[in-house]
Amino acid sequence: MSALLTLDAVTGGYGDANILQEVSMHVDPEEIVVIVGPNGAGKSTAMKAVFGLLNVRGGSIVFDGDNITKWAPNRIVQRGICYVPQVDNIFREMSIHENLEMGAFLKKGDLSAAYDRVYELFPDLKERRKTLAGSLSGGQRQMVAMGRALMLDPKLLLLDEPTAGLSPRYMEQIFQICRDVRSTGVAILLVEQHAKQALAFADRGYVLASGQNRHEGTGADLLADREVAEMFLGG
Amino acid sequence: MELIGLANYALFMGIFIGIYALLALGLNIQWGFAGLFNAGIAGFFAVGAYTSAILTSPAADGRLGGFELPFFVGWFGAMVAAALIAWPIGKICLRFRSDYLAIATIGVAEIIRLVIKSEEVLTNGARGITNIPRPFGDLPYVQSQLAYLAIVVAVLIVAYLMVQRQFNAPWGRMMRAIRDNELAARAMGKNVEYRRLEAFIFGAALMGLGGALFAHFNRSITPEAIDPMVATFLVWIMLILGGSGNNKGAILGAAVVWIIWSVSEIATDQLPHEYAVKAKYIRLFLIGLMLQLVLRFRPEGILPEPLRGDTRADDGAVK
Amino acid sequence: MGFLELINFYVIPGVVLGSIYALGAVGITLVFAILRYAHLAHGDLATLGAFLALAVVTALGLPPLVALPVAMIGTAAVAVGIDKAFYEHLRERPKIVTVMASLGIALMVRSVVQVVWGVDSESYVRGIVRPENYFGLRIKDREIYTLVFMIGLVGVLQLFLAKSKWGKAMRAMSDNPNLALLSGIDNKKVVMLTWIIAGGLCAAAGVFLGINTELKSMMGWHMLLPMFAAAILGGVGRVEGAVLGGLIVGIAEELSVLVLPSEYKAAMAFVILLFMLLVRPTGLLRGKVL
Repeated sequence: MSALLTLDAVTGGYGDANILQEVSMHVDPEEIVVIVGPNGAGKSTAMKAVFGLLNVRGGSIVFDGDNITKWAPNRIVQRGICYVPQVDNIFREMSIHENLEMGAFLKKGDLSAAYDRVYELFPDLKERRKTLAGSLSGGQRQMVAMGRALMLDPKLLLLDEPTAGLSPRYMEQIFQICRDVRSTGVAILLVEQHAKQALAFADRGYVLASGQNRHEGTGADLLADREVAEMFLGG
Repeated sequence: MELIGLANYALFMGIFIGIYALLALGLNIQWGFAGLFNAGIAGFFAVGAYTSAILTSPAADGRLGGFELPFFVGWFGAMVAAALIAWPIGKICLRFRSDYLAIATIGVAEIIRLVIKSEEVLTNGARGITNIPRPFGDLPYVQSQLAYLAIVVAVLIVAYLMVQRQFNAPWGRMMRAIRDNELAARAMGKNVEYRRLEAFIFGAALMGLGGALFAHFNRSITPEAIDPMVATFLVWIMLILGGSGNNKGAILGAAVVWIIWSVSEIATDQLPHEYAVKAKYIRLFLIGLMLQLVLRFRPEGILPEPLRGDTRADDGAVK
Repeated sequence: MGFLELINFYVIPGVVLGSIYALGAVGITLVFAILRYAHLAHGDLATLGAFLALAVVTALGLPPLVALPVAMIGTAAVAVGIDKAFYEHLRERPKIVTVMASLGIALMVRSVVQVVWGVDSESYVRGIVRPENYFGLRIKDREIYTLVFMIGLVGVLQLFLAKSKWGKAMRAMSDNPNLALLSGIDNKKVVMLTWIIAGGLCAAAGVFLGINTELKSMMGWHMLLPMFAAAILGGVGRVEGAVLGGLIVGIAEELSVLVLPSEYKAAMAFVILLFMLLVRPTGLLRGKVL
């Protein structure tokens, strides 16, 4: 089974400096892969590279057979990758339903199947679908953000620190939602600050530090690894 | 055109270039140094012109006046008046972001214009103030023009040297630091509001002085003497074209734009009458277009802002 | 002074003027919200619209209301053209540069009007129009049209923004431009739509000002301050706010002559603007603070 997404020795940054140095990783279909690491490790940057938001100067990114290294985000969305940024990830002045509608902006034709799919994953949102997204709680907003990204039925979902600022209850809920999403056939690549919990629920993980690969393996393996534990599982 | 006519015209142009250069220098302090978008230049110009006129002209019926003070007192008064008006406006409006400041200053200029038109006791309304004394005004025409030109140039040189010195001083560096990164400047403990207010007031004072010089040159000032929006716009394009942030640029821009403006006026005046009238608006259109082109292709202007705080080392080197 | 007198001589003219301001203010608030800068050429676009309608009226002898759609389309096209020719190239720069450019565009648009139509006053129709009497209220037909059209145009706009895909896209861009881009919303199309709407509404403002007063080349520029005051009063980005703001500014201007000398009518807008920026920059309906 060939990988859905492959990063091969990706090097790049925003301005002139390179934040990522030859980072490699892959995500298989229907897998949950997490990127962990200390602050400034380049985790979010690696994700942004996948979504075309970074100046990639070396290496390649291949998704479902296409080399998407130089693609614009617009095109990448249409190809089947959706991205949920860490902050500012909802339209606050629009209702939940409208947020979802905007998520499906590029979709032609009937959206009812897409709405059904998302509301099934997030029943809470369905009851409140006319509420303004900005008036929701943090956890609910995160659900709207993910729902918006799922409207286009992506093959791969990118989540940037989905549990940031959320209570443990919501954190667990988000992870559960990720499993539910995965069971609908979507692979998930996420960046997480709460490394312990993330590695416990993910299939595989990559540990980045200073923009480079440090460790990789299954979630369980990484949790058991002494070095990894030392580096950051203290928190 | 015979040589004498040409020479006379050159004198006339020189005086206006000097006056506009003063206005551009004032705007450079506000915009070039401090990043303040003042779209109400004409208002401070008018305040200066009228203040000096009121202080120096002889008495007239139904109007405040008759002080008949010497012209330099009038000019000083013009600067003070413009500064006094700028102070509350600055205190209130400078905290707004640039767009809002632009609109607010447009409003300020409008209010000043209304006051000038309506408060007859102060300004004689639409009739304006006449008999403003002109230094060396009693000399024969050419000598009088030369003398006035000399005065304008002297004033300009003094103003330029003062502003340039401030630019090179720590004050100037601090202003630019505030303009370029307000948050960082604040974090360093700089009193951003106060510095901005200073820049606004100094710039306004120079604009008031320009107004006074104009009024005394004309020997009269009326609300229609200048078209406020045209004058304001001309000063802006003078600064942008010349190079905002650069004092020499302000003066150069004044010269270049005014020469283009006047020469095009002469050229179009030669046309048959109906076209000559319309030509003014075509020239305005072209000036507006010039601004678009400068903003797009050479936003730093002819003489870009010197990168280091100290321009002495960069003298002569135009990047 | 009697209540009826107050209504007839101050409030009704205020509502009419306010409706005109509202039309311009809605455009300004949209540009503020989506493009994020103050468009100083807005007033002069209204002037252009008014004179385009005049051209149709004089050429074809049609009433100005019939010429209105032509003026709206023409001005919308000009607005889009100006953006493509000038503002588009400044998009990567700080917004204040575009504001500066728009000051120049204002001058350019005004000069075109001055060259083509001159600086004298014009009118759509000659002759005195008498008001009708509705239970003591004296209202001219054209004043009714102004208010009705304003409500109608804004109503259509609101429907468009609430229900249509591209209207929602505009709201999305106003709300969160980055996320809108990530969602695949085409920035260029939204910008073009914004200018089409703003240009069309400007033209309407100009035409109705011309219908109710007269046409002069400076007419739009003199509306700039009240239109901005109205937009900020209502709350930047809020269409209903712009309408409310417009009406308040219009009525306040008319009522101001009861306390201020009439020459200072125009100062009212400025006072309202300053007051809102100082006391409540988000406006009455809580818009953005840019």
